[in-house]
Amino acid sequence: MSKLVKHTDDASLAAALPLRPVGAADLGHAAPRSRWSDTWRQFRRHRLALVSLAVLALMGLAVIVGPALLPYDPERIDFAAKSQPPSLAHPMGTDELGRDQLVRVLDGGRISLAVALAVVVVAMTVGVTVGAVAGYAGGVVDNALMRLVDVFYSMPGLFVIILVVTLVGPRFATIVLVLGLLRWMTTARLVRGTFLSLREKEFVEAARAVGAGHARIVVRHLLPNTMSPVIVAATLGIAGAILTESALSFLGVGFQPPQATWGRMLQEAQRTVVNDGQWWRGFFPGLMIFLTILAVNFVGDGLRDALDPRRVGR
Amino acid sequence: MSHYVIRRVLQAIPMLIGISVIVFVLLQMTPGGPLAVVENPGGSGRVTQEQLERLRARYGLDDPLYVRYLRWAGDLVRGDWGTSFNTGQPVLTMIWERVPTTLLVTGLAFLVALALAFPIGIVSAARQYSLFDYLATSAAFLGIAVPSFWLALMFLYVFTFTLDWLPAVGLSDPRQQHDGLAAVVDRAQHLIMPVSVLALVSTASLTRYVRAAMLDVLGQDYMRTARAKGLAEQAVITVHALKNAAIPIVTILALEIPDLFIGSVIVESIFAISGMGRLFVESADLRDYPVLMGILLIASFLVILFNLIADILYSRLDPRIRYR
Repeated sequence: MSKLVKHTDDASLAAALPLRPVGAADLGHAAPRSRWSDTWRQFRRHRLALVSLAVLALMGLAVIVGPALLPYDPERIDFAAKSQPPSLAHPMGTDELGRDQLVRVLDGGRISLAVALAVVVVAMTVGVTVGAVAGYAGGVVDNALMRLVDVFYSMPGLFVIILVVTLVGPRFATIVLVLGLLRWMTTARLVRGTFLSLREKEFVEAARAVGAGHARIVVRHLLPNTMSPVIVAATLGIAGAILTESALSFLGVGFQPPQATWGRMLQEAQRTVVNDGQWWRGFFPGLMIFLTILAVNFVGDGLRDALDPRRVGR
Repeated sequence: MSHYVIRRVLQAIPMLIGISVIVFVLLQMTPGGPLAVVENPGGSGRVTQEQLERLRARYGLDDPLYVRYLRWAGDLVRGDWGTSFNTGQPVLTMIWERVPTTLLVTGLAFLVALALAFPIGIVSAARQYSLFDYLATSAAFLGIAVPSFWLALMFLYVFTFTLDWLPAVGLSDPRQQHDGLAAVVDRAQHLIMPVSVLALVSTASLTRYVRAAMLDVLGQDYMRTARAKGLAEQAVITVHALKNAAIPIVTILALEIPDLFIGSVIVESIFAISGMGRLFVESADLRDYPVLMGILLIASFLVILFNLIADILYSRLDPRIRYR
């Protein structure tokens, strides 16, 4: 049986994660310190997740300090060096304006990664809040909020995003908000489900009996119990956000030139790759998207395994 | 059971209303409101304030919001979806012309994805931890992370630029008039890349679902019973396991269709195929809001419709589920 559990590894099952009741231990005591070291110990056993985490850390570092270290400016035009294939001087080649692709990939990566992180923050904030309110209040409030979730679920994501960004304009805040507001529903359902099932548990009753108010019960006793699946959902959400933002830029609706983003670079590369065979124009920005999503998915997988209480101690 | 179906269909109605309200609110956000185009045609202020007021009154723009919503929704129901800012054609006609193309591409991609995902997923689950399973699971993991537009671009580099095997754009060769078999071959050549890209991405996720569903079923007691009574392994897998695994898979399949439809936006754009997805991106470029709204509404209807189909199929297929 344990073998079966280990390999039913698809995203939808994240919702089925059982949760460790932290609230009981919290009553009057500090939260058990060992929880995070426990998680880390489990996480380390997932080799690919560990490697992926290192890749992501490296990528984060590269996009932050990389552009400053390279001798090129992402927007500096140099016709003497135009359309060059990868070389030592330009490891990812140059574009038709002689701009260094590596520095543009790093500079664009900064935007792509920043958008993804911000989107996840928006999505998690909305998702946790709606889920907590619905699950804690129950009844009419719950019903209304869950219908709202249904409506948002039925919105065809990419279409709505393209439309709103077209309407409001492709600014950082707009793109983050729209992407975030279309990605909170799974988290809301997850949190609501946990709240509903824990609301009537003894440890909540106990907290209520010693005079804890609604806010304290929600924040101290219920929320900590939803954190594991929320963390996993947030991690996997980064991958989705990167993909959607790139698709948006690729379709020419997202960030506008000269600002490079991975999707935008792919869009600009389209003609040259197909007509002139300058494969490096499209290969590297796409490779970055692919590697990031792959690494994020592995980390998410590793976190799911590590945070799953069924696995602790195995 | 039919009670459940009726109730479920009735439940879809408030969803449709909810979505139409959101689309209506978005429509109000159009810069300058619905009359922006008239107010400032090409920058020359030829319309006087008085004329503008008359237009506002004629289109009822001074009415309260809910009156305008009801009138707009009424028009939708009667089939009046407005006219394109760009071509002046009725929106519904324009969309309708593009539907067959999108259906062709997404439909083929769906069939290819099914034909690949089922065998791979089943064998993968039946031979868990084998080399095949390892390769298939890895490939699926990679496939999920691949951005479709990157895959498409690299396909174009390999098969169009380097090898010159396949045409890059459109669904037929405009320079040559083909007929009979030649036309079919020409069409097929144009379809290979877009369909493969769309299919590969959904094959990756479908394979994972098929495998997970099969593994779930293979661990059940009745599988041991089937084997114990001496059934051949093949019969155990195809009859007993697959039949039960099909229930969750069918649900996923119905939900995959709207995803394919959304994916067609990207594929149609990169391969210059005149389907609904490309119409949407073009209209976004031209700020053709009536067309954008129309496609958005249709896409939303599709999502709701297939959710409904998934739920109904699920309740029909699984005798353990009883709804009152």
